[in-house]
Amino acid sequence: MGDRQSRVALLVDHSRNPRHEGVLEDADVAMPGGSPECGGSVVVYLKGDGNGGVRALSWTGEGDTISMGATSVVVEKVHDDGLTMQDVLDLSYDELVERLGRDVIGNRTRNATMGLSTLKSAIRKYLKDHRALPKERTVA
Amino acid sequence: MSEQQITEKNYAHPEALVSTEWVAEHLDDPSLRIVESDEDVLLYEVGHVPNAVKIDWVEDLNDPLTRDYVDPEHFAELCSSKGIGPDTTVVFYGDKNNWWATYALWVFRLFGHEDVRVMDGGRVKWEAEGRPMTQEESSFGRADYPVHERDDSAIRAFMDEVREHSERGGPMIDVRSPGEYSGELLHMPDYPQEGALRGGHIPGAANVPWARAAREDGTFKSADELRSIYEGEAGLKQGDDVVAYCRIGERSSHTWFVLKYLLGYDKVRNYDGSWTEWGNVVRAPIER
Repeated sequence: MGDRQSRVALLVDHSRNPRHEGVLEDADVAMPGGSPECGGSVVVYLKGDGNGGVRALSWTGEGDTISMGATSVVVEKVHDDGLTMQDVLDLSYDELVERLGRDVIGNRTRNATMGLSTLKSAIRKYLKDHRALPKERTVA
Repeated sequence: MSEQQITEKNYAHPEALVSTEWVAEHLDDPSLRIVESDEDVLLYEVGHVPNAVKIDWVEDLNDPLTRDYVDPEHFAELCSSKGIGPDTTVVFYGDKNNWWATYALWVFRLFGHEDVRVMDGGRVKWEAEGRPMTQEESSFGRADYPVHERDDSAIRAFMDEVREHSERGGPMIDVRSPGEYSGELLHMPDYPQEGALRGGHIPGAANVPWARAAREDGTFKSADELRSIYEGEAGLKQGDDVVAYCRIGERSSHTWFVLKYLLGYDKVRNYDGSWTEWGNVVRAPIER
């Protein structure tokens, strides 16, 4: 995707103007992740539709440009593409890093994937708590 | 912030600090190189002090395979490529109260680079004062930096040395948060413990979180204020042989800088193995 400058600009834009940020008061799951001493920390708020779909999704966090920007990029994708829970579980960490730019992320892959890994943890907890089986794609 | 204000803080080695004003007046000085070193590695791209170069503690200073710093050849190449010669004055600044700036400075001292300084207040103060920032990547002609052997003996401590230091009651400062120091962090659900199997601290270490050395504007506290913390509260005495540690040795490099340059302790070592080593070693003694 574009040159390095545009890849940096994407992360900077998302970290400074985070999409879908905020506490979801009636979330089914509030999942913490990351570390405040190492890149950043997030809390992912997830509400399911009981049928393998995502009814609502938001996040809060504090951290560096890569961790906050990448979390915002992932959450926006779930919303915009209407991903189901299974779709999210199938998202590849490698592809995320590739999309964000390996030349930008360098060795900080943990920062870049912190949001996605926390989101996956939130979904696994939701599925475990609700014994819901992920089904076909639904609109977020 | 001027040099006068740094002088008034009565540091043992005031020459180790420069003010934002001084840096602004020396942006084009060919005898110095301004180095930005941040935790948030993309901040340099967002904007930096004109003519500053970037040094990334992960990509540039750490060996990519072994848990160690780069070898002398890589360090010489890094400096040469940034236009840093052996006699260049290197002024470090960065985010988070100069946390990573002092870490980079400490690594430069491992390789014996003599003239190293920190811009008091770091990036946050420079920005708060409305000083110029640029996105233009600085580049300078190559310098010819000689390959110096790294000297790990004077300012770096290894686990065996720290164990012996602890056993004979040598003074130590654990600069992590109180929750990490007490070992409670293992049980805090919001902040999963990363990298260590056991929580607590090295026996005998006092707890002084590193950021207590900084004021809200990012500048260092005065020598009197620092003495009250490190000597009044933590019990250090001038002449002590001190070991500082944290999780991987980065926060403790900040405290190393404070003790060594601002308070004038001659023998201070940074234990970079820190808790990610100590908290994982079988039968390493731990206090809670």
